[in-house]
Amino acid sequence: MTELDCEQILQLVWQFLDGEIDETRYLEIEAHVAACADCGPRYQFQRRLLALVEMKCREGPIPTELKRKLFRLLEE
Amino acid sequence: MGAAIVASQIAPIAADDRERFQALAEEHLDSLFRAALRLTRNRTRAEDLLQETFLRAWRSFHTFKPGTNARAWLYKILMNAYIDGYRKATREPDIVDQEDVDEFYLYTKVQESDDFRRAGDPEEVLLSRLMDADVKGALDSLPDVFREVVILADIEGFSYKEIAELLGIPIGTVMSRLHRGRRQLQVKLWEYAKRAHYVRAAKPPAESGGR
Repeated sequence: MTELDCEQILQLVWQFLDGEIDETRYLEIEAHVAACADCGPRYQFQRRLLALVEMKCREGPIPTELKRKLFRLLEE
Repeated sequence: MGAAIVASQIAPIAADDRERFQALAEEHLDSLFRAALRLTRNRTRAEDLLQETFLRAWRSFHTFKPGTNARAWLYKILMNAYIDGYRKATREPDIVDQEDVDEFYLYTKVQESDDFRRAGDPEEVLLSRLMDADVKGALDSLPDVFREVVILADIEGFSYKEIAELLGIPIGTVMSRLHRGRRQLQVKLWEYAKRAHYVRAAKPPAESGGR
């Protein structure tokens, strides 16, 4: 398997972050972004961006009244 | 009398089913409600969608195989109810992606911005400036077909394969929609970040007053 260059690494960053990459490639990308001054910051930024989206879209638990309403439907 | 006997015979089974369903649903209600909020972008519609999902799930509970993935089963019902009743466009919008928008749009913008660079750690400044409402607003602005994939991947944490199954589309389509959705999300986030930055920068310092 030939080694990936920076451009190829960057094309795979989303898949890498999504855990959608086979193990050999995964290790290669992990090592590359840890060492590369160009890819590293880009990778770190994308990682933080995904974490931000997840965090900012969190919601509290479902309102108790709504939950009660749902469970009452089962008794009809 | 015959009916009473039948009722008493089936009642314990029904009650048992109801308890099992209740326990199974309860575990996923918070995340289903969160997904419904983001999908419908509206609290009332989200409650309606959740109720529809809950009823559909209860009605087809007999088809659920214990031990299989309950979360995937419930989300499949949620997405079907959403697609049936809430989603407008089913085709990908014919818009052509902007040429200068790539996967690293936001990173590039912040690196190129003198305003942000002056701050020392421009990425940190940018990310810390984005509020809940900015991220939700940016997500809400995406076309439905991109939005739903981003919600399922980035908020609900489903794999490409699971999303393909939930939406009944090929994995390649999931990936292209997710990538396009994330690119558009970054364009929108950059608008919000710039606005927030401008508002702050334009505010006169308290000492000098506004006169």
